[in-house]
Amino acid sequence: MLEVHALNTFYGKMQVLWDVSLQVREGEIVAIVGSNGAGKTTLLNSILGLVRPASGTVTFLGRRIDGLPSHAIAEQGLAIVPEGGRVFPEMTVRENLEIGAYLSRAWKSRKEMLERIYRLFPILKERERQLARTLSGGERQMLAIARALMSRPRLCLLDEPSYGLAPVLVMEIFRVMQSLREQGITILLVEQNVRRALEIADRAYVLENGHICMEGACAELLESDHIRRAYLGM
Amino acid sequence: MVTTIIEVVITGLLMGGLYALIAVGLSLQYGVARILNISHGEFIMLGGLTTWSLYTALGVNPLLSLAICGPLAFALGFVIHRTLFKRLLDTAASPGVFESNSMLAAFGLMFIIQNVALIAWGSEIRGYSYLTTPVHFLGTLFGANRLLTFGMALLIGLVFYLFLNLTRTGKAIRAAAQDPTTAGLMGVNINHMLALCFGLGAAMAGVGGVLISMCYPVHGVMGLEYTVIAIIVVVLGGLGSIPGSFMGGFILGLVGSIVTFLEPGLALVAYYVIFILLLLIRPTGLLGR
Repeated sequence: MLEVHALNTFYGKMQVLWDVSLQVREGEIVAIVGSNGAGKTTLLNSILGLVRPASGTVTFLGRRIDGLPSHAIAEQGLAIVPEGGRVFPEMTVRENLEIGAYLSRAWKSRKEMLERIYRLFPILKERERQLARTLSGGERQMLAIARALMSRPRLCLLDEPSYGLAPVLVMEIFRVMQSLREQGITILLVEQNVRRALEIADRAYVLENGHICMEGACAELLESDHIRRAYLGM
Repeated sequence: MVTTIIEVVITGLLMGGLYALIAVGLSLQYGVARILNISHGEFIMLGGLTTWSLYTALGVNPLLSLAICGPLAFALGFVIHRTLFKRLLDTAASPGVFESNSMLAAFGLMFIIQNVALIAWGSEIRGYSYLTTPVHFLGTLFGANRLLTFGMALLIGLVFYLFLNLTRTGKAIRAAAQDPTTAGLMGVNINHMLALCFGLGAAMAGVGGVLISMCYPVHGVMGLEYTVIAIIVVVLGGLGSIPGSFMGGFILGLVGSIVTFLEPGLALVAYYVIFILLLLIRPTGLLGR
């Protein structure tokens, strides 16, 4: 479904991504794990058209999307939950959700989508008329996930959805991710929380200093000595 | 005495409505497109002089001019953004660089538009009289044109407010103002929205110019004064807040009217004093955060 091939990305003269390749197949949850500064966010930004890779290709549903502006990439059916949520602070919860359905195909059915979202996230229904800046961190993250769903995406990218949240909220976010998969949405998850990510995902790529250094089924990765030592503190 | 006070207050409020309208336009250009449009007043001047020409040469009703100048100014603004500012945006290394470059470009635009207008219309002061029938109001007399322009300014402001809050495009504009990158990821074509906002801002200036010409004489170099007023109103009301712009407009109109009544030459000085005080005490504006 999503295929990243031999991506090299620079910030100025500094190379951040080296020959990064990865694949996400329909219906999977794929995780990209790695420590801070490993290039995880740059990788997402390269996929989303926010930074232009120096070389390499990104293909989504058989179409090249590298070089497209980000709004055109969104149109292909790819949605993002940015790091920290990045909800629109001066808009109400409902308006944030409506902007999620901005794409014309989603806009037409936004009312019924809104009802589905409110069933999935009852707290957002309660806060419907509140400005997004009055929400707590966890609620903002929920809103950002719900906003991404409003566009009826085929693939949803989540950038550090658990970052800065209390453990009980992290559980909640991961529970929501499971239910997305059940609804047929493919997920590419970027996480610092390596253990959680490997527990929920089917496959994972380990990014270190801009290189993919390991990849494979999560069950196998959890057994690997390198992962256990470097990320799980065992 | 009481009549005089009422008169001064109403004059101020009537003027404030116009100030608010042109400030909403500027606020949109700066708040969303990040362009401090020094040439804002030139669009007001173009609206005013075009209306004068249409009225004196062809007998076109100034109200009809609204429907002519609004779309024309929109198209002009849209094209200018697509050609000039879009290019600056693409080549700017950072948002800060774009803000200063675009302001300088707007300065250049001001001189160009002003001189084209001087060639086209000359430097004379142009005026026409329209709907000057006096209307009795709370014991005072006002020209019907004053009341009409006030009503139109409020109406246009209200329609625009509803547009921003209720329509899909309006919501996208607000999202783009708050976080352009994220709005882009939601599928909003940012370049399109920026040009749209610049065009809408220009349209509001153009329409403001039409309304101003119904009551006051217009001329080729009137623009800068209105640009300054619009900037002060925007700072007064808080950037990007339409109710704030209206409040700022009314306050500035009132102050202007009171000062003009006491000492006609000092209105602009009073505006600057307010501006400086505000920057010192509450730089985010009255309704800003």
